[in-house]
Amino acid sequence: MRSSFALAWRQLTHHRMKLAVASAGVVVAVMLMLVQLGIRQGAMDNSVALTRRVTADLVVVSPRTKTIFQAASFPRRLLFRLPAHPQVARVQEMYQAQARWRNPWTFQEHPISVYGIHSERPLLKLPGYSELAADLRLRDHVIFDGRSRTTYGPVVETVRSKGMLETEVNRRLIRVVGVIDVGISITADGNLYMTPENFLRLFPGRSPGAVDLGLIELKPGADPLVLKQELQHYLGSEAIILTQSALVTAEENFLRENAPIDFIFGMGAAVGFFIGFVVVYQILYTEVTNHLPQFATMKAMGFTDGFLLQVVLSQAFILSVLGYVPGFFLALWLYEVATKAIQMQFSMTWGRALMVWSLTLVMCGLSAAIAVRKAQSADPADVF
Amino acid sequence: MIPVAKQQSIPFVGGTSPVISAREINFAFGEGELRKQILFDVSFDVAAGEIVLLTGPSGSGKTTLLTLIGALRHVREGQLTVLSRALHRASPADLIATRRDIGFIFQQHNLLEFLTARQNVELVFELHPEISKSEVRRKSLQILEDVGLGQRVDYHPGRLSGGQKQRVAVARALAASPRLILADEPTAALDSQSGRDVVNLLQQLARTGGCPVLMVTHDSRVLDIADRIIHMEDGRIVS
Repeated sequence: MRSSFALAWRQLTHHRMKLAVASAGVVVAVMLMLVQLGIRQGAMDNSVALTRRVTADLVVVSPRTKTIFQAASFPRRLLFRLPAHPQVARVQEMYQAQARWRNPWTFQEHPISVYGIHSERPLLKLPGYSELAADLRLRDHVIFDGRSRTTYGPVVETVRSKGMLETEVNRRLIRVVGVIDVGISITADGNLYMTPENFLRLFPGRSPGAVDLGLIELKPGADPLVLKQELQHYLGSEAIILTQSALVTAEENFLRENAPIDFIFGMGAAVGFFIGFVVVYQILYTEVTNHLPQFATMKAMGFTDGFLLQVVLSQAFILSVLGYVPGFFLALWLYEVATKAIQMQFSMTWGRALMVWSLTLVMCGLSAAIAVRKAQSADPADVF
Repeated sequence: MIPVAKQQSIPFVGGTSPVISAREINFAFGEGELRKQILFDVSFDVAAGEIVLLTGPSGSGKTTLLTLIGALRHVREGQLTVLSRALHRASPADLIATRRDIGFIFQQHNLLEFLTARQNVELVFELHPEISKSEVRRKSLQILEDVGLGQRVDYHPGRLSGGQKQRVAVARALAASPRLILADEPTAALDSQSGRDVVNLLQQLARTGGCPVLMVTHDSRVLDIADRIIHMEDGRIVS
């Protein structure tokens, strides 16, 4: 293996320019695969970021709810039945709706997602939220999501420098008193967080008795799966109970079915794979064809087809490495660019890096396996 | 030629027997109506240390005969024993093993252009893993020295002249001490002086190494090195 690798290396590096072009093809393929799969994962992760932050053991939703971002409401009185169970520690209601935010700089209105969440010991992981509980108790005081798009104006900078920002939401004057980073999704450009009381002030038409989400904290040691069954009897058919992980899965499935994320970005990654395959195949095939008399000579000298296969496979492996390493760093850079441009968080994971590395090996190996059939057709009797 | 029964798949023949022994070899390309017979009842021997030239007009079957002896094609009719291996009943693996004992020199040098002269020669030793790395290096340098290229061992073929490239090819064929050298018009692509040099080199190395040479040639300028000349016409040995 060592000698066939050395031969492969010398053959590839003999023409530096050709090698650069071949590697560039693999770089593009690797980069496309990493970026497409990264954006797919990023869009998904950002869209379910809020559900991942739920710390409640069980969640109550309406049976009509498909996604909590467009939740159907259910009667709040159902939630009051739950503390009757000895294993239930706390129950909180949560509201969610779309409102219109007026950009105080341009006076244009933009849709924004609004959440009504208890500010004292919320059953959601929102770092910095309950610290501002005293402010949030005040009328029309809200918190802005720092990851929101820039269409809402330089809210974060203003709040950081002046401590607050006043503008209108649903034609009602509100005051932004803080910023926390949660994340936006493909369905929401920005988020506002406030107490249920302030939420209901923004939506005077909404009845406080119609809630969108119920959050249940269980006593330590209680089994969520068992409690899910037992508590369901308290609610009848008007609301259903999910575990927190089931809620995340349900949200991901909703996105898969309703937003063509998987298809679009999966297609992009497939195109990358195909480009890489064609480029590597083309390079290896030309390389083999150009050296057919030499390969035939080597066979006449007593080299086996297996040795030639090792040479071509080694070349494929070298191209994989030369393409993957720059492609990887290029993708890291593009994640940063995309994070700024799309204002969603994109990051590299070990799983994806390894998966694309295996895909690259498969891509190059497959090309080599096809190209080598040409080398095996070299007939040593033809060299005379 | 009666092969002695042996346990090996390749029957071994007595030690003093000829290096090449061909008996009534027929060979044809194609099947059915397209069948074209190239060789008719070819029989001859080459003894150890002999330099034999194979001459004749194009299409007389010289090269086909050479590919059969070189274990590059399978013998279908007749008996052919090369280096004590019965090629008419050899498996593909036996054919490859036989090739490793033969030094080939082609009309084209067929050097790998991405390897230097020394690396081209060293490549042959990949087939002989029992020889140590330092030994490979020493032998390769020595043989390049012998063919007069001691000053150019690190040149790529692109920077060598036609004669020099053919000399590297000769060095490559001789490097691993083959037991038989097969050459197909090694002087055809060379001017008379370079051609002469290559042939003299072959003769000298064959004499000192005691290794038989079978050379196909059209080139009347080099006939004088032969111990024996076999002339072929229309697939038959004429003299």
